[in-house]
Amino acid sequence: MKIVVNGLEVWYNSTPALKNVSLKVSGGEMTFVIGPNGAGKSTLLKTIASIVKPRAGVIYIDGKLLSSISPKELGKIVAYVEPHISRAIPSTVLEFLLTARYPHHSTLSFATPRQDLEAVEKVSKQLNIEHLLSRRLDQLSSGELQRVLIARALIQNPKALLLDEPAAFLDLRYRLEVLDYVSSIVKVNKVICIVAIHDLYLASLYADKIIVLDYGEVVAAGTPDEVLKEELLEKVYRVKVHIVNINGRRVVIPVEPIERISL
Amino acid sequence: MALPLYERSTKYFFISLTSFTILIVFMFVLALSLGPAMLSPHKVFQAIFLKPFGYAVNDSVNVIAMLRLSRALASLLCGASLALAGLLMQTITRNPLADPYIFGLSSTALTAIALGIILAPNLMVHKAYVVIVSFLGALTGYALTLSLSKLSGGTSLAMVLAGIAIASLFSGASHILLYLVQQVIKTPYVYLLMGSASTVLLKDLYFLAFPTIILTILSLAFFKPLNAYLYGDEYAKQLGFNPTLVRDFAASIAALLTAITIAFVGIVGFIGLAAPHIARFLTGSDHKFAIPITTLVGALLTLVADIVVKLVSMFAGAVGELPLGVVTAVIGAPFLAYLIIKKVRE
Repeated sequence: MKIVVNGLEVWYNSTPALKNVSLKVSGGEMTFVIGPNGAGKSTLLKTIASIVKPRAGVIYIDGKLLSSISPKELGKIVAYVEPHISRAIPSTVLEFLLTARYPHHSTLSFATPRQDLEAVEKVSKQLNIEHLLSRRLDQLSSGELQRVLIARALIQNPKALLLDEPAAFLDLRYRLEVLDYVSSIVKVNKVICIVAIHDLYLASLYADKIIVLDYGEVVAAGTPDEVLKEELLEKVYRVKVHIVNINGRRVVIPVEPIERISL
Repeated sequence: MALPLYERSTKYFFISLTSFTILIVFMFVLALSLGPAMLSPHKVFQAIFLKPFGYAVNDSVNVIAMLRLSRALASLLCGASLALAGLLMQTITRNPLADPYIFGLSSTALTAIALGIILAPNLMVHKAYVVIVSFLGALTGYALTLSLSKLSGGTSLAMVLAGIAIASLFSGASHILLYLVQQVIKTPYVYLLMGSASTVLLKDLYFLAFPTIILTILSLAFFKPLNAYLYGDEYAKQLGFNPTLVRDFAASIAALLTAITIAFVGIVGFIGLAAPHIARFLTGSDHKFAIPITTLVGALLTLVADIVVKLVSMFAGAVGELPLGVVTAVIGAPFLAYLIIKKVRE
């Protein structure tokens, strides 16, 4: 399993969001995309999930051209976890999670297969949201909702998992637990996993590969050892950082902003 | 946990399905027995439901029940289609306050019919043309409300306010037009304006029955795209459904359902608002369960409203009858008030 992106260019009306982005991601490794606000992290994930159409460039998923894969087929292959879903019409967590299985069935089939419910059961147990299944989505806390959203993507059982800010709203325990769980699924099932994240600390803990985006361009890509360097991060984020060695991993600790906002 | 929960919601669905069916049969028999000539509900039940099994029925009961049949069936079908239209509109706008009446579809459809009667009275004799004209009117109303609400920010309350603006404008316009129409068709225009099931003929019921049944089955068949659509455009896209297609498809079905009821019964408001909420409360928001229950709840509510209309006219002794839409408004508007309070609090 492999995703190859070549010369990708995405525009929102007249603003460029991604410029000439090329990268290669393989299954079984955790790829983290980092970069400041507006660097194009979410756009990159959305383009791979075929939610946003590129102006130029090609994406191959397992050797197949993305634009040639039917939407339904794509639903079986790629799952993108967006940070927001609409919760205006009240519905329960279970109802929401069951929709994740739709790409695997014919649109007109009526029954809810037992294995769908078993898949929901298994993942919700592992992510500790089992007690939330009967709750309404609009009654969940942000952290609970985040776990439900990640559970949805895992229940969809995709070959490529695209996580947009999976650590947002999660407390310390679930940040580590959820990413640890995702990374073990990625390793065992040889799934592709691309994570867009702001937390450099988590990136240094779990990344096998890191891609740094800035102003819509790839400024660095490689293993954490190659990418997580003080000069690069300070230039991209405009923040002074220290890099410490913990358990053989380079861990980034932000210290202070380079330019202070004056009063 | 997932399995017992799902089994529980399936159980609730079947319990609601049977209890609403029984209630509807009960109310249906009651509606047929009520009137200037009171019949025994027991005999009416035999005349309507047991006749196919070779039950001998008193002729006078049979004749009177048959005369009242079209009116009761019209309320049932009109309620079912308005409720389904309301559910679909709430789903596609993702707004729990949506309803064909509140969003102005009913008024524009009626305006279109009135215009049609004035401009081409000879065409409007055929009910099929009335339905088509009314459908175009309802679609226009939907487009107008949606574009007006987009201009004002697109929040769920902006949608309701835009709907009120469109509904007021076109209910005014339809008042004026229908006042003029009175000279063409010699019936009091109040009935079309506020709805009445008493004017529906038995032979017109096919136009009401077949579209309602077919459109209900069609919406039910596409319960998966509708479910996915609830959680956002991008979410639906990810599961392989085209959100624009889902929206346009469901909007056309909702407009068609509204158009049919307007063409036969006139404006009956708030059924489309209340029924989906009651159904979702009972069986959850999964359209597989919500669509059948919503249609049943809508049918029951409208039938009960029509029974109230009959009772009021029998006991108040005034001339003529109360319009059906007046009764549904009295039942439904407090419901809207409750939903708005809940929504604004958030």
